[in-house]
Amino acid sequence: MIKLLKIEFKKIRTYKVFWILAGLYFVFLAAGILLAEFMINHTVNNINQRMPIPFPHVAIYYFPDVWQNVAFFASIRYVLIFPAIIMIILITNEFTYKTIRQNVINGMSKTEFLVSKLMIILLTALIITVILTAGAFFIGLSHSGFNEVDFFTKGIPFMTGFFLSLLCYMIYAFFCGFILRNTGMAIAIFTLYSLIIEPVIYFFFRAPFMFKNTIYTYLPVNSVIRLTEYPAIPMLKKMMGLNLQDHVSFIACLIPLAYASVMTAIVFWVMKRKDL
Amino acid sequence: METILNVDKISKSFGRIKAVNQLSFEVMKGQVFGILGPNGSGKTTTLSMLLDLIPPDNGQFSWFQQLPSKESRKRIGSVIESPNFFPYLDAVTNLKIVADIKDKPYDDIDEVLQLAGLYERRFSKFKTFSFGMRQRLAVASALLGKPEVLILDEPTNGLDPQGIAQIREIIALVASRGTTILLASHLLDEVQKICSYVVVLRKGIMLFSGNVKEVLAVSDSVELSASDMPGLTAAIREFPGFISFNEAEGLIQVHFSMTVNTSEINAFLYQKGILLSHLAEKKRSLEQHFLELLQDTP
Repeated sequence: MIKLLKIEFKKIRTYKVFWILAGLYFVFLAAGILLAEFMINHTVNNINQRMPIPFPHVAIYYFPDVWQNVAFFASIRYVLIFPAIIMIILITNEFTYKTIRQNVINGMSKTEFLVSKLMIILLTALIITVILTAGAFFIGLSHSGFNEVDFFTKGIPFMTGFFLSLLCYMIYAFFCGFILRNTGMAIAIFTLYSLIIEPVIYFFFRAPFMFKNTIYTYLPVNSVIRLTEYPAIPMLKKMMGLNLQDHVSFIACLIPLAYASVMTAIVFWVMKRKDL
Repeated sequence: METILNVDKISKSFGRIKAVNQLSFEVMKGQVFGILGPNGSGKTTTLSMLLDLIPPDNGQFSWFQQLPSKESRKRIGSVIESPNFFPYLDAVTNLKIVADIKDKPYDDIDEVLQLAGLYERRFSKFKTFSFGMRQRLAVASALLGKPEVLILDEPTNGLDPQGIAQIREIIALVASRGTTILLASHLLDEVQKICSYVVVLRKGIMLFSGNVKEVLAVSDSVELSASDMPGLTAAIREFPGFISFNEAEGLIQVHFSMTVNTSEINAFLYQKGILLSHLAEKKRSLEQHFLELLQDTP
């Protein structure tokens, strides 16, 4: 296991594309989270110009809501797609450079190859979650201090939810890259599906009432994003009613986990039978 | 002698095309074994099956008298088709990955790089390497960890004469250390120079196998003509070493299994009462011989 990680680490240690994309991801992630409050309040100001009774400004960085808000902004499609694209590149590179062939020739088993890639995905999800948790903690601390009694109550469920979102979404990407084998095609199809096709399906299948389950609920990418479906903003809660999410649903976690498990099983099945 | 590789009736089809059909052969320890055949004869498919890249449809094979596994592959160094490395990594890192997979120490990375003449460029990225350097790095990686078997698939394909000479020098050196070598090539000359045993493939079917000297023995041929052609064809059959003859334009071309002396032929036929009007010695090129070898069989 350690040996496989060592090998994977050698493959990415001096790989510029990986580090540039990872850097971009963290810039987008930090910018998204840190600018969120400003942008929401900017919108509120615009609305208030036409309102007789102005809406109050929102604050989203307080304990314990900061956990849900950070998880929400970190699992927006446009941000989440970065680590997914990195995974597509890492797996399709192996086909492009035929190094998957060479690894097997040199004495790696096909199972070991897949396990090493899955370990990288798991480790990446862990590292990003840890960084995000630390970030959310410091944001919360700088805005509310320790005086809040339940400052960590929402922390563990929402960070675990984010970890699962990220893990499953990267496994989708890995699946897409493994099946298509071609970097450009895999990125194009994955991005197209995530950012356009599913939203279009949503447009046609949306339920008359916003919080009712539809086919859309069970689509792979949406089920990932839905783990933290809404930010925790008290005002929004008042407007939308009591139904608004305040915890990560265990049942909702099962949907992306089921997709990811089936995809992983297919990858192992294909690897065993297909010519390299 | 110890059996290194035993191949038992392996077959592989791609759609309706039978790439390899009921192929069997055996490689002994220390042999330099050639797989000879034109492009598309199933050489790479065979090697891919032996390295677990492609599952065979039928038949089986064993390495080191054991069922094939990742452990047996760790004892084999291979260059299959093109050199496959990460272009953005330097030569040393690429070789370290190979050593990690094979569970071998990094100790002989410098040695194999020196052997391949790439030591000075060891920290250059693979993508900056020329075609010949890439091929040599592939050979270097195959030699990492002192493998018991070296598999080379068209190792000199596309190289310039200097590159070919460098690769052959390395092969000769490795062979002299007693490493078993399995070499696939479409170049008769290469197989003849390097190998001691050979199987000849055509369209996935084994045509011949055996000692290189026997299978690829270059028989000489002689052109003969006489006024009494029926007498000539009858008499020449009795000459020692006679294999066959072709008739063409008033003369016959006779093949012998060994080098013959034209004056002996003349004397022999004179004794039989045949007076020759034409006698010429024909040397066939190796390539021509190879083509004939492939064409002669239905």
